[in-house]
Parts: sequence; C-alpha cells; structure tokens
Amino acid sequence: MTTLTIAKPRTRPLISWRVRKLLIGYSYLVPAALCMLATVVVPIILAIKMSLYADVLYKPQDYRFIGLGNYVRLIEDPVFWLTLWNSVIWVFGSVIVQFLFGFAAALLLQQAFRGRALVRTLTLLPWIIPGVVVGLIWQWLYQPNYGVINDLLIRAGWMHERLAWLSSPDTAMGAVVFTNVWRGIPFFAIMLLAGLQSVPDELYEAAHVDGAGVFSRFWHITLPLLRPIIVVATATRIIWTFNYADLIFVMTGGGPANATQITSTYTLLQAYSSLDFGYAGALSVVLLLVMLSFTFVYLRVTKGVEETG
Amino acid sequence: MDERISLSRRKLLHTLAGAGVIAATDLAWWDAPYIGPRRAFGAEPVRFQWSVPDQTRIALMNSMVERFNQSQKDFAVQIEYVPQAQARQKLISAITGGNPPDLCQVWDNWVGQFNGMGAVEDLTARAKAWKHYADVAPTAWQTVTINDKIVSLPLAVTLDGIYYRTDRLKELGLKEPTPDWTWDEFLALAKGFTKADKNQYGYGMRGGGTWALLYPSEFAYGNGAEVLKDGKVVINSKEAIDALAWYLDLALKHKVTPPSAATDGFVEIVETFGRGVTSMYQHNSGSSGQQKKNVGAANFATLPLPIGPAKKRASFWFSETLTMFKGAKNKEGAWQFMTFMLDDEQSLKYNTTLGLLPARQSVLKQPEFANDPTLAGFINSFPIGIVSPYLAYPGWGGRIDSDGVPLIQQAILGKIPAKDCLDRFAEILKKEMS
Repeated sequence: MTTLTIAKPRTRPLISWRVRKLLIGYSYLVPAALCMLATVVVPIILAIKMSLYADVLYKPQDYRFIGLGNYVRLIEDPVFWLTLWNSVIWVFGSVIVQFLFGFAAALLLQQAFRGRALVRTLTLLPWIIPGVVVGLIWQWLYQPNYGVINDLLIRAGWMHERLAWLSSPDTAMGAVVFTNVWRGIPFFAIMLLAGLQSVPDELYEAAHVDGAGVFSRFWHITLPLLRPIIVVATATRIIWTFNYADLIFVMTGGGPANATQITSTYTLLQAYSSLDFGYAGALSVVLLLVMLSFTFVYLRVTKGVEETG
Repeated sequence: MDERISLSRRKLLHTLAGAGVIAATDLAWWDAPYIGPRRAFGAEPVRFQWSVPDQTRIALMNSMVERFNQSQKDFAVQIEYVPQAQARQKLISAITGGNPPDLCQVWDNWVGQFNGMGAVEDLTARAKAWKHYADVAPTAWQTVTINDKIVSLPLAVTLDGIYYRTDRLKELGLKEPTPDWTWDEFLALAKGFTKADKNQYGYGMRGGGTWALLYPSEFAYGNGAEVLKDGKVVINSKEAIDALAWYLDLALKHKVTPPSAATDGFVEIVETFGRGVTSMYQHNSGSSGQQKKNVGAANFATLPLPIGPAKKRASFWFSETLTMFKGAKNKEGAWQFMTFMLDDEQSLKYNTTLGLLPARQSVLKQPEFANDPTLAGFINSFPIGIVSPYLAYPGWGGRIDSDGVPLIQQAILGKIPAKDCLDRFAEILKKEMS
C-alpha cells in the first residue's frame, strides 16, 4: 500500500514580504519623523496660527482672531519692504563675495606649500569665533573715535576725516556685509576644499596630457565636479544668512534709521520690543515663504544646469 | 594622564577661587559671606532673576544673597544671572511659558508691559504695611504705581544730569558752569570743548537705544513742552519742535558731537567721555563709578540739566525695581528678600557700590551720597525730577525702541526735520494709548 503525501498550498501571508520590508523601513524613520514633527512642523503651524491673531502680550484683553489682518498691515508697512530689500543686499552681498573668496582660498589651500596645515587652521578662525563676539570685535574695529580701522587709514594718508562706518546710512550696510564676508569665507573654503580633494588626480593628468591649460582644467573638470557641493553650500548659506540676526543686532541694532534693518532683526524687534507676537508671527511666516520659494526656484534652476552640464 | 587632568582642574578651581577673592576684596564690607556659604536644611527656595552687565554686580549680589540666606532659616534665595541684553526676552518667555521666577530685578519702564500681561503681583497691601513705606520718596512710589496699585519696590532711583570734565575746563581756560546754567551756556561750553581736528567734542549725544529719545525730551521740558497733557499727546507742540531743532543743531549745525552720534548708545557715550573724546554727556548717576575709574574723581563733576528758554527744566525719574510675579511659587520668601534689600545697610551698600541713589530718603541723606561731589548734579536734580512721561502707557516703551529710535536717528543724521520726526513720533504714541 502506498501512501500519497499531498503538499499543502502555502498560506498567503497577510502582508506581502515586499510591503513588510517597506513598513520596516518606514518604521525606522518614525522616531526621526516624530522629532521633526515636534520641533519643526508644530512650531510652524503655531506660528501660522499666531499670525492670524491680534496677539500683543501686554494687551491680553485685545487677543482675538483677525484673519489676514497682520498680513494686510505688513503689506502697508514701509519698514517691512525696506527690511526685505535690505535682506536681499545683506544675503546676496555677503554670500556672493564669501563664495568667490572662499573658492579662491580653497584653490590656494589645495596647493602644496610649507606651513599649509597651519594656514588651513588659521583660515578656520573667523568661523570658529561665535557670531556675537565677531560683532563686538568688528564694532570696536569700526569705532570712529578710537577704532583701529580709522586710525590706520588716517596714518596711511588714505583718509583725512574720521568716518563713522556704522553710524552713516551710506556705509553701515557695507560695513556689516564686510564683517559677514570675513566670517563666512572659511565656510566655503572648507566645503570646497573637501570637494577639491575628492577630484581624482588622473582626470587632471589626462587633461594635461591632452594639452588642456590651467583655466581649461578648472572650467571643464574642477567646476563640474564641484557643482553639487557648490549648489548645496550656497543654498545652505543663503538660507542661513537670511535668518542670521546676531551680527546686525550686535553691531548696529538695525540702525542707523533702519539702514541695516533686515527682516529677521525686524521680526525680533516686533516680538521682543513691541511684544507684538501676532505681527512678528506674520513676519516669520513671510520669511518662511520667501525662503521656501527661493529654495524651490534655486534647486530647479541648478538642477537644470546640472543636467545640461 | 589622569593626574594631569586633576591638576589642571585644581588649577582651574584655584583660579576661580582667586577671582572670587579679588571680587570680594572690592567689597570689603561683605567679606564674611564668602567664608562660609550656608544652605539651611528645609529652607524654601526663592527664584530670583538678576540681569548683569558686569562682574561688580555679580560679586555684590552673591554677597547680598548669601547674607540674606544666613540671616534667617526659612528661605534660600537662588539667584539666576541673565546677561542684561537678554533679560527682557528671558522674562517674557518665562512669563508666557507659565514659569516666571518668584521675583526679578527690572527697570520700571519694563514693569508696565509685564503688568499689562497680567503677570505682576499687586504689592499695595504689603508695601503700605512695610516699616519703610513712608521713608521712600513719593516720586519713587509713583514710578512703580500703575492704576493705583504698587507693583514693585524701588531699589534705586536715577535722575539724569550732565557730566563734564573739570580738568579740560582748566586746560582750555573755560568758565566753570554753575548749577543754574542755561541752554546758551551749555552750548558755549560744548563749543569751547570741541576741537574736531584733535578728535575732541563737546557733547556725547546719544542716538542708540530708548534714551536717544528721552534725552531730547528732557530738553523739550526746558522749552515749556510736555509729552502728555490732559490725556493728549503733545510731544509735537511748537515748543517741543523748537527744542528738538535746537538739540539736533548740536550735531548738525554746531558739530559739537562725535560723527558717530546717530548710533552711540550707553556704552559709547560713557566710553568716549572716559577716553577724552567727549567732555560732556547726559546720563544718570549709574556711570559715575565708571568715570571715577576712567578719568578720576577729581577730573569730572556733574550738574543738573541746563535751564531752557522757558526758564524751566526737568529730569526724568526712573527706578530700578524688585518685582514679584503673580506666578511666584514663594511669595512670602520673595517679599522677605525684597524688604531685606531695602534695609539701611543693604540699601547703602548697593547704591554706593553701583553709583545709584537710594529710594529711601533717610539713606540718601548719608554722607556717602551727600558729600560726593560727583553725585551733586543728580542730588540737585531731585527738585526738578518728574516721573518719566513715557511710563504712562505700557506699549510706549516698546514702540520707542522699534519705531521711535529710527526716527530720531534720521533726525540726527539730518534726513528729516524736527517737525517730521515729532509728528510721526506723536502718531506712534497715539496708536498705543489703549
């Protein structure tokens, strides 16, 4: 007598292996997503909510929903438009020059020379110093009556009268931008130096054999290979500078006569001087929208450039 | 390796202890508390926020708190130091977050906003039953009274006067000003002190911070102007405009101020005087101690503000306060410490160390104040002292900083005339009168 063993069909799992794998993957992301939710998304939602209310801290009796009232006020506020324009000058004036000098410094530091390690360390110095300290140092350097800059320029015969760098609307923005440039060059220098070190030497050697000159090698090898780092570094720096208030707050407090008032310092002023949290909330939301739009456009444009390249 | 680390730690501790001893020797009267700090078992904590601009205040307050903690066994004050620039933000965040300290040290121009937020404890009953109630100057009480409620204790008071360099007067052969001097004499002296080619200027005008507007407002009273009259804003009256135009001319026409005037704040006006760049500036007694170190007590003196064309003058009165919060967890402990700070010995030590004037009249009569020539200008200003009109509405303080200061800076730079400046400033004030 022969017995037959019939193979039972395998029961189909409730969730397919592929879905399960996907779920496990996502479950690893849950802690990070919760953290992001609590520290980024919730505050943004609260700021949006705050911007829709009349919320002046010392007038709790006036606290009420006013819809887009704070945004209408913002559109009619000439100081807001001035701060937005100042922000553009502050951000692009700082970042473009930081990038150019940072790139030059990175190319220089990539070369082999005696004492390179020491020079690389010293290059980092402005970046290591806290922003508030940088502000205080440069405020002292610019001091018209006993500051070093005026003193040196007068001694050198390049200037006859003491210039109040931070007190004149004509020079104040230039002076704070210069300070920010000084502080930000190491950021680009280090980022781009790291990129330069990852470019294979063989490419340069092959190009050299093919007769490519210095400029040609830079244009056709260095620049295209550094492009991803350049895009990320400049985008990060632009967003950062747009929101960076410390330096201006310490050096000029937004003055003289709002000449250096940028939107982020104006937001701080509305929140902590006027205690007008509703209006400050509206300013923060606009800041966020401006930055989101900029990042979107910037990434689209640079992606296009990359694909073309 | 471990030994090296422990040695360096020991060195660090020695350095810290040394720094403490150096600070304490500056305060010989308070040596004792440093020897044996005491924590009473079971004592209820009192959270006390203190904003600090310098080491002297830290050393002084450490001693005061330690002395209080030793003087009784029920409460232990825990001091929380906050840098002065961040003190207001920290307090606002703590109040809105529902976790304010039990009490804090703030200037009266902030108290109105905190009171408006409903955060300040009403101290009227406690204050009126306090043994020194009648000894506190009535004007000092006015600075901390809002809607008939006493909301703080005035720890120290300030009145503005004019600092001037006596050594420069002799050097330049200028006439010594008298306490009843006039605007014309003030201007003549400022011109006499000014030697622009030598980087020397007569008057250190303040263009940065709240007081950039308060100082010309004080001058405006000399021309018969007021900020608020019968419940209406009148800071843009003809008298006020003329006074501001005269004040601005110090920078624009007579050029007796440094080129940096438009942004010079407290630090700059004190520093330029100390370095000999300016020979006069307007401030309260709070920088007299600094100037004793900078130029020497024999080389400067103080005077009340000059008399204006209307034969009047005024000096705004402010108080440095101890303020308790409604959300305080230990109100009794906070009150005990507040009154301790205003007792004879503490009040005398606090004010003499920091160059301030005590709110209590019996303490003010002590020789430490009455016989100090560098304080004469401020003590002589008591009869012309008025409560700052800008304390009238809680929203005014913040608006002066955010909207008023840029206006006065434009005026100092000559971008707008005095009339435009005051018309726009009056509108700002009117909007915040609710």
